[in-house]
Amino acid sequence: MRDRVEISTRKAGEYDWLGLSGDVDMHAAPQVRKALLDALQGKNGLLVDLAGVSYMDSSGVACLVEAFQTARRQGSRFALVAVAPPVLAVLRLARLDKVFTLYATVDEALAGGR
Amino acid sequence: MTSSNHSLTPDAAGDIQWLASLSQDFAASLSMPETLDNAIAQIMSYLEVEAASIFLLDPGEATLTCLACAGAVDIRGLTVANGQGIVGRAVSSGQSQLVRDVAADGDFSGAIDALTGFRTRSILCAPLQVKGRKLGALEVINKRAADANFDAGDCQLLQALAGVVSLAIHNARMAEALVEQERMRRDLDLAREIQRGLLPQSPPGFPVCAINLPALEVSGDFYDFFPLPDGRIVWGLGDVSGKGMNAALLMAKTISLFRCLGKREPDIGRLLADLNDEIAETALFGMFVTMVLGTYEPASGAVRLVNAGHQPPLLRRRDGSYAEFAAAGPPLGVLPGMSYEAVTLQLDGGRLFVFTDGVTEGLREDGSMLGLAGLQAIFDAHAGADAAAQLAAVADTLQAGGRRLRDDLTLLAIAPPPLLDREFPAESGVLAEVRATLEAALNGVGLAAEAVGELVLAVNEACMNIIQHGYAYAEGQVFRLRLWRDGGMLQVHLLDHGRPARLDDLCPRALDELRPGGLGVHFMRQLSDGIAYLPPPPGYDNLLQISKRLKA
Repeated sequence: MRDRVEISTRKAGEYDWLGLSGDVDMHAAPQVRKALLDALQGKNGLLVDLAGVSYMDSSGVACLVEAFQTARRQGSRFALVAVAPPVLAVLRLARLDKVFTLYATVDEALAGGR
Repeated sequence: MTSSNHSLTPDAAGDIQWLASLSQDFAASLSMPETLDNAIAQIMSYLEVEAASIFLLDPGEATLTCLACAGAVDIRGLTVANGQGIVGRAVSSGQSQLVRDVAADGDFSGAIDALTGFRTRSILCAPLQVKGRKLGALEVINKRAADANFDAGDCQLLQALAGVVSLAIHNARMAEALVEQERMRRDLDLAREIQRGLLPQSPPGFPVCAINLPALEVSGDFYDFFPLPDGRIVWGLGDVSGKGMNAALLMAKTISLFRCLGKREPDIGRLLADLNDEIAETALFGMFVTMVLGTYEPASGAVRLVNAGHQPPLLRRRDGSYAEFAAAGPPLGVLPGMSYEAVTLQLDGGRLFVFTDGVTEGLREDGSMLGLAGLQAIFDAHAGADAAAQLAAVADTLQAGGRRLRDDLTLLAIAPPPLLDREFPAESGVLAEVRATLEAALNGVGLAAEAVGELVLAVNEACMNIIQHGYAYAEGQVFRLRLWRDGGMLQVHLLDHGRPARLDDLCPRALDELRPGGLGVHFMRQLSDGIAYLPPPPGYDNLLQISKRLKA
């Protein structure tokens, strides 16, 4: 089965940045979960860019929740950036839009971290 | 010793040869009257007589009519009363009559001689019969030689001839009857074909379907349905009293009236009353029609129906319970001026079944009567299939064992057909395809884009549950996705063979726990207008229904 999700990572200022695009569903969840937990290993704080996400279901949300909780335990920063409308709708539905820290752009996230 | 003594051996051989050739003529005959005329001429010359004739009994056995003759006078078509004269005596007694001098025989009437001017001196007459059934007689008159008269040899030969002629006439009549039978069979086939043409076939995706199986060639049952310009569908099902051709003719009349009046009269109670008046005015005494008719509005899922003396239609609700709709008035054609009250019902995910008593009184393979409970059991067992398959299952049950139907069998169902019905492998890799397929099926049903996204997400979550919890990620498993529109509601059914699910499984955990998992059920509840586990159809262990309201 062809992968419908793409994952990329880089540095954004002092933080680690992880970009997701495509369908973050049950099929992609194990891959996304591993990438998120790996990115948190550096304990530099993580910005998750969701601009390219076209679809997310509860298993995708669960990955974000697990990453969020891991970051909290580490005492490192965790924020979502450029949350695409379909993702925002799901986060609202899960009442998580007020739990996660959301930024419109990476620049805003970098500015907001100070 | 005269040459006419046919009992002697050399002559007997000649007789047999001659009889054989006569028999062959009959066997090869294409036209019986012509062959008989030919035969009678041969008989006249072979027996050396002045006249020969064949008289046949009419079907009422009251008269004898000359069918073929040879001699000086043509008496074909001449009729004498059965029992009259020497011919009549031969026929009624079944015995050959040898009268050497007619003047000395009291039964000789001389009526034919008086009519024709012929002078009869002697008569030899043999009855024509097959297996004791009287057909008529073969008669020869006056030996040609002036000094000669009939003897025992002539009598034996004429009796042998009578046997050949009797068989030929009998065979010709059988062949005629066969031709007539064949013509009637063709007529019946044509009648059946015309009758079938009166019963419409459902186009794919049409919400009304029906079947009709006649017990005889033609049926007294009927169904019909057609759309109105306003989007409603008019439907009807009826049963004419009696069976066979007279019932079939009244059926044809009723269905034609229904179609014609149904397109003009928007009020179905009024329509039924009009039908009743028309049929009561002209139907044969003692014939009547029981009928249910109504409308179905696909946009709202509303059914209106009215029942004239017919057995109650059954509504099978989506939870598997049943409701009946009893007759609001007497059958059609009994009394003019009746009024009928219509009832309205919502299908609401259920299906309406209308049927004739040939169904409930039909026999199963073991000879037991199907009955209402048996019919419901078949509907229940095939609740997961489409309505046409449910009707076919009933027909199969009543035809099991190749038994001939006792009565015409007719069923009609009103059930919105699925917009989507597909099986998928139960694995996470297929979810993208499930979402795309569902989205495509939802295109054009009148659901806003946002709501489409919501329903797709809810169904996606339910599929995840099946893969994760139902099958515990086991390989080679499948689930089935069905979608249909029911009035103002969209219904999604997910069917699987997984671990039996319970309603408790649909209770979400507290969201405050903020744990991964448990969100799916919350999503399903939030994004739909109802989720419920329903009794699964045969072959499945779970049936989850997700409903989504279509906003006006």
